[in-house]
Amino acid sequence: MIQLQNIEKVYRTSAVETLALNNVNLNVNKGEFLSIMGPSGCGKSTLLNIMGLLDAPSKGEVRIDNEATTSLSDKQMAHFRNKKLGFIFQSYHLINDLRVLDNVELPLLYRNSNAKERTRLAKAALEKVGLSNRMKHFPNQLSGGQKQRVAIARAIVGEPEIILADEPTGNLDSAMGNEIMDILLELNNIDKTTIVMVTHDEHMARRTHRLVRLFDGSQVS
Amino acid sequence: MFTHLFKLIWNKKKQNFMLMLEILVSFLVIFAVFTMLVYYYKNYRKPMNFEYDQVWSIGFKMQDRPQSNDSLYVFFEALKNQVKSMPEVEQLSFSGHNIPFSMSTSQNSLDYEGRHVRSIHDYTVSDDHAKVLKLSLVSGRWFSKEDDASRYQPIVISEFLKDKLFGTGEAVGQVLDKESDHPRRIVGVVKDIKDHGDYQAIESAMFRRADTNALRWMEQALIRVKPGTGVAFEGRLYKALASHLTNATIEIEHLTNKRQAKNSMTLVPIIIMMVVAGFLVINVALGLFGVLWYNINRRKAEIGLRRAIGAPAGSISRQLVSEAMVLATLALIVGCFFAVQFPLLNVFDLPASVYIYAIVLAVLFVYLLVIICSLYPGKQAAAIYPAVALHED
Repeated sequence: MIQLQNIEKVYRTSAVETLALNNVNLNVNKGEFLSIMGPSGCGKSTLLNIMGLLDAPSKGEVRIDNEATTSLSDKQMAHFRNKKLGFIFQSYHLINDLRVLDNVELPLLYRNSNAKERTRLAKAALEKVGLSNRMKHFPNQLSGGQKQRVAIARAIVGEPEIILADEPTGNLDSAMGNEIMDILLELNNIDKTTIVMVTHDEHMARRTHRLVRLFDGSQVS
Repeated sequence: MFTHLFKLIWNKKKQNFMLMLEILVSFLVIFAVFTMLVYYYKNYRKPMNFEYDQVWSIGFKMQDRPQSNDSLYVFFEALKNQVKSMPEVEQLSFSGHNIPFSMSTSQNSLDYEGRHVRSIHDYTVSDDHAKVLKLSLVSGRWFSKEDDASRYQPIVISEFLKDKLFGTGEAVGQVLDKESDHPRRIVGVVKDIKDHGDYQAIESAMFRRADTNALRWMEQALIRVKPGTGVAFEGRLYKALASHLTNATIEIEHLTNKRQAKNSMTLVPIIIMMVVAGFLVINVALGLFGVLWYNINRRKAEIGLRRAIGAPAGSISRQLVSEAMVLATLALIVGCFFAVQFPLLNVFDLPASVYIYAIVLAVLFVYLLVIICSLYPGKQAAAIYPAVALHED
């Protein structure tokens, strides 16, 4: 589903050159739940951003669903992200000025879908994460776990084949974290959604199919 | 997408209130400026309906005048003949103080069958006045000797006044102010004149024939000179006048110069107001630009998220410009509500079309301002790299 070949990422400033990723080769199979672990600053989030086409590698190739992504234009890349990828972030990234339902509808705004259809899909996604009773709330009226569930609903509303989760349980206590993890596992098991998750939590990582470890930008296992 | 933008703006109404207020105030100021500009432009487009190029005014402030009417008549006839005998002079007429482009005005009112018209410019002039200024008659005739024996005081009125008094009916021959001591009879109708400068609105005007009595206070004459007549003649004319008008202060002026001076008097306040409005617009533009710029920095994470979930760069740019446009539209709806009260309540007695043009122009101006101020911040927002924006939060 995702093929990373010889990925290298270098951050350059006028004074320093930092190698964030060094020759990473990784294949993620369709329907797989993969977790990435490593110490802070080892390049986990950078790798996830590159997989999600949010960042471009300095070297190497990213293929998603057998399609090379390096030559895609900005518009094509945006369309690709919208159709194929769903994102979950540690800090949720909900828009505080929009109600829960409107937050979940967001990805559908960039598709040709009408308002009724958008609302129907958003409600269904919220139902799936058990938040249909919080649709009219604003994000700041929710707990951390609820916020993350809204973020998951937003990620799955467009029925993407891949979900990229950057420390989705990082801001939550263990009980909440487990709840979120259960939802992700359910998505993987029932909907066969491919999930790549960055985490610091060994316990969470062990619940996934495969664990990849990074150290100083290199893949060590 | 519009509903989404509206929700976003509505949910942030407190933060957006000041920006909308700023746009509203600037709209009202711009509306005032455009009202003035449209009003003066519409006036400017109207013809003057008299010729002033070769006309000079002669002011003569006399210390003492002949006492009897007969002597006065003889005195003025002699003065007229002396000036007209000069080959450069084509026509001469005597007039009250309110000659074209002067600072003096004289106003009167007229009654006709219960209709009372006030603020009518009242000109007392001699028989050759129409020839000097080349006034255009619409109907009837100008004053002549045949008016000497008239029971009524003969008057010539402007078209504008004729419409006010008689509408589409006939004006010539009608007797006005029948109940007063001095009933007047209309002998002619002339085209409306703009004798207070290019930017003057068309107003009611009436011309009264100067009788011998009027010669007691008349201190102005207008002469039409032949084309090419220059300063040398002005000197000779002055000497000729001085020989006749002993103990009088004589002042000769060209109507072209008086017109320029009068126009400047109208233009100066307009220019001052435009400069003030210009500063305000610059302030609003900078404020708008600053707020939008600040918004981008405040909303970097949101922009990053939108890019992540499928918004192309162009869409982000369009969203920010559209948000500013929706805000402007809300402010303009309120602004237009206030602005339309002016024609509805007939404030300042201006034609409704002036206000309508001003509203349209002010709305377009505000939209243009908002687009200009939001384009660059929008472009900057589109350039934000999603990974960086999401990481910064």
